[in-house]
This record gives sequence, structure tokens and C-alpha cells, in this order.
Amino acid sequence: MKLLIYAIVSVKDAPGTLNSLLTGMKGTSGMPLYSVPFNEVSVVVSNINSEGLNASQTDAIGYAGLIETLAQKFTLLPMRFGSVMGSTQEIADMLGKNMNEILRNLEKVEDKFEFGLKIFCDSEKVRAGLKAKSAASAKLIDKPAPEIKHSVYLDYVNQKLKEHRLEELLMAYVDSVIAEIKGTLARLNSIDKFRKTGAEKNIIDAVFLLDKNKKAELIKVVEGFKKQYPELDFILTGPWPPYSFIDITIK
Amino acid sequence: MSENKLLFNTGSLDELSQEIGEITSTEKSKLELNPDNADSGLAKLVLTLIELIRKLVEKQAMRRVDGGSLTDAEIERLGETLMKLEIKMEELKKHFNLTDSDLNINLGPLGDLM
Repeated sequence: MKLLIYAIVSVKDAPGTLNSLLTGMKGTSGMPLYSVPFNEVSVVVSNINSEGLNASQTDAIGYAGLIETLAQKFTLLPMRFGSVMGSTQEIADMLGKNMNEILRNLEKVEDKFEFGLKIFCDSEKVRAGLKAKSAASAKLIDKPAPEIKHSVYLDYVNQKLKEHRLEELLMAYVDSVIAEIKGTLARLNSIDKFRKTGAEKNIIDAVFLLDKNKKAELIKVVEGFKKQYPELDFILTGPWPPYSFIDITIK
Repeated sequence: MSENKLLFNTGSLDELSQEIGEITSTEKSKLELNPDNADSGLAKLVLTLIELIRKLVEKQAMRRVDGGSLTDAEIERLGETLMKLEIKMEELKKHFNLTDSDLNINLGPLGDLM
């Protein structure tokens, strides 16, 4: 019988606690959860019934919910929905081959949660604001390309150049916002990942890995960002299991 | 998302809902190829790639114009080329009944292509 894997859990501090937590808990398709122990870690699994894995959205949400419940009590490496292995022996073999990498990743996320930050803006308004704010920038944007004679092609280049310069201004602004946020979060000892989306509204996506007890501090910091950048909207979510910070290729 | 996961929010959640909708919906990014629509399905894929390359070329060209490395005559010729490329793309999109958003395929967590 195949096994669906939920997470690799560090049990070095409380070896017996995981099994008592799993008692009575049901996994995907209502199958009971249990653990496969190996040295300092245990893998949380459930059997897959004979009909196979049902990959419905409800099951995927339930799967994520279970990992979240486990993450409240343990340091863990969450697995992707649909991670299946053939037997407990296969799991033990996989753990044996990858133990160093698994322990390195568990150490990185120990007692930490992931938080997500999405930053939205009305790009058109921000572009207009940037243009108005900087007289020098505005002058630069209106400066035409070297003129040889008036032609439809030159007008076209000038129009494209204006758009290009505004885009560069917006990107520089986004970079400055990211630098400011990174600097502030460094004080919370966070590990972070930022992504400039290039989209019109959701301009920045970020995730942070922070100590579990720093949630309130993080909220205050983001409140401060809103005061600093009233033209931007912030959506902070979490705490999440450390989905974005696991760096491991299973051998 | 459960209520307690939303720690701080200063705007409308519409944008977030819209984004989640785009990620979970496969319609926008799906390339539908079947015997009845092989032409338009393939055209969508090919035009998406062409549009991406055209925009990259345009961006690089503007960098060079901005950097002052082109002569006046080169800028003129560049303008003519870029303009004709854009007009041709518009014609092709019209021919295959495609819009800009059709070509801006969603790459899931990576966001939109363009």
C-alpha cells in the first residue's frame, strides 16, 4: 500500500509528543495519520486507499491544514500535496540518503514561521506621482530623443521612450521600497525573499522567515510601512509553515 | 484563507481574490489544442512568443536610444522598424481573434508573462 507524505518533522526535543498528537487525526480521504520514525526525525504519513489519491481542491486544502496544525507544535519540512512513496522502507531509505540536507533545512526553519507580504498600488497613480514629485525626472521624461527632423517614426520613438523612462522610474521606486523593507526587517533577523512582479497592481510579493514569537513585532513594522508609503496597500498573512524556504533536492 | 491568517490589510481584498482566481483558474494559461482549433491554439502560442520577443527588443532599443549610442539616422530607422512590427502584430492578433490579455499568459506563482 502506498503512503501519502505530509511533512518531515523534527522530534529531537519531544520524541513521544508527535504520536500522541496524531492519535485520532485523519488525513486525506479520512485515512488515519501515523509517523515513520528515523533517527531525529519522523515522517507523517497516511495510507492511500485502493482507489488512489483524490487530487481535489478540498483534499489539497485539508492537506495544507494538517501541515499547519503540525507546524504549530513542531519544526517541520512541509511536503508538496501528492508526495507519495511506496512503503515505510522506501521512506527510511530516502531519509537515510538525504539526512544531512534534511537536518540542515530543519535547522534553518527551527522555531520559525513563514509570513507573506503582498504590496499593491495603482501603478498609474504612482507613475503620475513620481513624475510630479521629481522635476528633474519630469524633465527627463519629456526630453525628446535627438531630433533630426519631424517624422512619424521619430514621434513613435519619443512616445516609446517616454513610456520606457516612466517604467524605469517605477522600477527604481519599487527597488527603493524593497531596500527599505529589507533594511527594517533585518532588525528582526528575518530571512526574506522578494519578487518584483512587474504587474500593474500587485507590484511586490515577499515572504519572510521569522522567529515564532515575532508575529506582533512584524505587524507593527508593516503598520509603519503603511505610514511611510501611504500610496501603497499592504496585505500581511501568516503564520504559515516554511513552504518557501526549503532548499532540498531529494536523492 | 481563514480570517486569522490575515494579519494586516490596508486595502481592498478584491485584488487578492482576483489574483487567487487567476492562479486557480487554468483558463487564461491553458493552451487548448484539438482538431477543431489547431490553428488558433498554435497561433496563440506562437504570437505569445513573438510578442514577448518584440517587447524585449523594444525595451533594449529604448535603452540604447536613452544611452545615446545611436545616430539620428539609426533612431529614425529603429522607429520605423518598431512601428511596423507593432502594426504587423496588431494585424496578426486581429486575424486570429486574439487580444493583448490572451497573449499575456499567467505563469502561476511566477505571475503574468508580460
